[in-house]
Amino acid sequence: MNKGFSIDCIGYALFAVFVLLIIPWMANYSGYDLNSYARYLVLGMVAAAVALSWGAAGILNLGQALTFGIGSYIMAMHLKLKASGAQAEGMPDFMVWTNMEELPWFWEPFQSVSFTLAAGILVPVAIASLIGGFMFRGRITGVFVAIITLSLMLAVQLWMISEQRFTGGQNGLTGLAVLELFGWSVDVYGLAFYYMVAGCLLVVLTLGLLFLRSKAGLVLRAIKADPERTRFFGYDVSTYEIVAFATSAGIAGIAGMLYAMILGFASPTYMGLSLSLAFVIWAAVGGRESIVAATLGGIGVNMAEGRLSDLFFDQWTLILGVTFIVVVLFLPRGLFGLVMDLRIKLESHFMASPIARVNTLLDKYSSETAVSQREGK
Amino acid sequence: MAALTLEKLTVKFGGLVAVNELDLHIRDGELRCLLGPNGAGKSTTLDLICGKTSPTSGRVLLGNQDITHLPEFKRARAGVGRKFQTPTVFKDLSVIENLEIGRSAFPGVFSTLRIFRTPIRGRIREVLSLVGLEGEIYTKAENLSHGQTQWLEIAMLLMQDCRVILMDEPTAGMTAQETKQTASLFRELQGEHTMIVVEHDMTFVRDIADIVTVMDGGSLLAEGSITEIETNAAVREAYLADTGDDHA
Repeated sequence: MNKGFSIDCIGYALFAVFVLLIIPWMANYSGYDLNSYARYLVLGMVAAAVALSWGAAGILNLGQALTFGIGSYIMAMHLKLKASGAQAEGMPDFMVWTNMEELPWFWEPFQSVSFTLAAGILVPVAIASLIGGFMFRGRITGVFVAIITLSLMLAVQLWMISEQRFTGGQNGLTGLAVLELFGWSVDVYGLAFYYMVAGCLLVVLTLGLLFLRSKAGLVLRAIKADPERTRFFGYDVSTYEIVAFATSAGIAGIAGMLYAMILGFASPTYMGLSLSLAFVIWAAVGGRESIVAATLGGIGVNMAEGRLSDLFFDQWTLILGVTFIVVVLFLPRGLFGLVMDLRIKLESHFMASPIARVNTLLDKYSSETAVSQREGK
Repeated sequence: MAALTLEKLTVKFGGLVAVNELDLHIRDGELRCLLGPNGAGKSTTLDLICGKTSPTSGRVLLGNQDITHLPEFKRARAGVGRKFQTPTVFKDLSVIENLEIGRSAFPGVFSTLRIFRTPIRGRIREVLSLVGLEGEIYTKAENLSHGQTQWLEIAMLLMQDCRVILMDEPTAGMTAQETKQTASLFRELQGEHTMIVVEHDMTFVRDIADIVTVMDGGSLLAEGSITEIETNAAVREAYLADTGDDHA
C-alpha cells in the first residue's frame, strides 16, 4: 500500500495524455474514426470492470456482459421513448406491432433523463448486490462463481429475446433518438462526445484506483489469497466481495449506457456469450492486476481488431486467437505482468534509486518523530 | 475473572468424538499450554474457540459473552485471534501490508476505504522491533525465512490486539535459537494478552507455561503446574504409550 505510488501516478498520467490528446489527434478530431475510438474506450472501461473484480478480488465474473447489457437497454429505453413521441400514446413501434394496449409501467419512468442515468448505474449495482449476496454469503468461490454468473447472464438474455413486446426481442431497441443532456444535443461523431466518454473513463478509473489503493483494496488482495485467514482477522469477507462485485457491475452499467449511444441501438448480443468472454480476454491480455492495464488491453485489442480486419479480411480472427493463446501460455499476468517484472528487475539493479532513497528518509523521519514523541512524554 | 470459558464443549465428526465434554477456565492474562499426544483434540479445541468448527453441544464464553454461535469474523472482532499450525500469512503482500491487515480495529468497508498509508511509527514500529522484522518492512512475505514467517504471523496477531490469542505450535520448524527468542517474546506478552498455546516442545513449555492442560482422546486428562504434570502418572502413561517421551 505504501510503496510505488509515484510510479503509478506517472503511468496513469501517461495514460490520460494518450486518451485525451493522442487518440483525438490520431482520429483527426472528428468523424467515424473518433466514434470508433470512443467505442474502444467504452469497451476498455468494461475490461477495467472485469479487472476490478477478477484481478483485485479474485472473483471471475464471466457474466460481465449482463450488467453491461442492462445499462445499454436502460439508455436505449429512454432514447426509444424520445424517438416515439410522435406515435400514438408515445408507444415504441415494436409495441404497436405486438398489439400492446399501453406503455408498460416499468417503461414509464424512463421518460426522464436523470432517472435513466441513475438507473443505468443503480440497477446493475442492485442486481449484482443481490446475486453477490446469495453467492458470497453462501461462500461460493472460484469456478462456481464463473458458472453461476455465466448461466444467469444467458438466462436473462433468453428472457429478453422471448419477451418481444417489452424488449424488442431479437432485434433489440433500434431507431433511437439523440440524447439531450442539459439542453446539449449529443452528437456521437463529435469531439465533445468523445471527451465526455474519455472523461467518464478517467473518472471511473481514478475512483477505481483510489478504491484499490486504499486499505479496502488491500483487504481484497488478502481475500483473493486466503479468504479463510482474512475472516479470522475480523473482516467480513462476503461484504467486501459484494462491494467489489457491485462496483464492477456499476462500471459495466455506465459503459453499457455509453455503448448504446455510440452504436445507436441496444441488442441482446450485448449480453451475449462471445462479448462477455471477450471482456475477460481483453482484461487478461492487458493484465488483470491493474485496471489501467486492463483498459489498455481492451482499447488495444479493439484497435488491432479494427486494423487487422481491414488488412486481412478473413484471417484476422485467427491472428487474434493465436495472440490470445500466446499471452495465456507465456504471460499469465498479461502485458502488465511483463512490465512489472521489468520494473522489479530495474529496481533491484539500481537499488539506490531516488524513490527508494526518499522512502528510507521518510521512514527515518517517522521513526525519529516517534522516538522524540516517546521521549517528550 | 475468566477471559475464556469452555462449558461441556463437544464436537463429533461422524462417529468420532474429537472433543468430549471439555471444561476449561482461563484467567485474564494467563498463558495456558495445551499438551497431548497426536489426535488428542488440541487443534480442534482451538478451532472450536475461533469458529473454524462448530460444536455439537456445549458453550464458548469470552468474558461473559456467549460466542458459541457467532461467525468467525465476529469472534475475531469480539477478541479471539488465531495463529495456525502452518504459518498462514499473505505471501503476496509485504511485511508492512500483512501488519496492516492485522491492524483491524475498524474492519468495515467504509473505514478501510479511508486508509491509504500505514504509518510506520507507534505501535507498528514497536511490534516490528518486538519480532525483529524492522529490516524487512517492504519484503514480500514469501521471501522471509520460516522462523520470520512464524514471527510475522505472531506480529499480525499483536496488531490485531486480541484479548485471547490461540497459538497452534508457534515454534514448529524453528531453530533452537529462534525458539528461545520466541519464548522470551511470549514472556513479554504474558499478562497483557491471554494466550492458549498448543506445543510439543517440552523445553519451550517449561520456559513459558503458567498452567498446563493435558488432553487425551478429546477429554481433559490433567491440569496443573508443569512439575505436577510431569510427575502425573496418567499423563506419563498416555504419552509413553503413544509417542514415547522423546522431548523430555
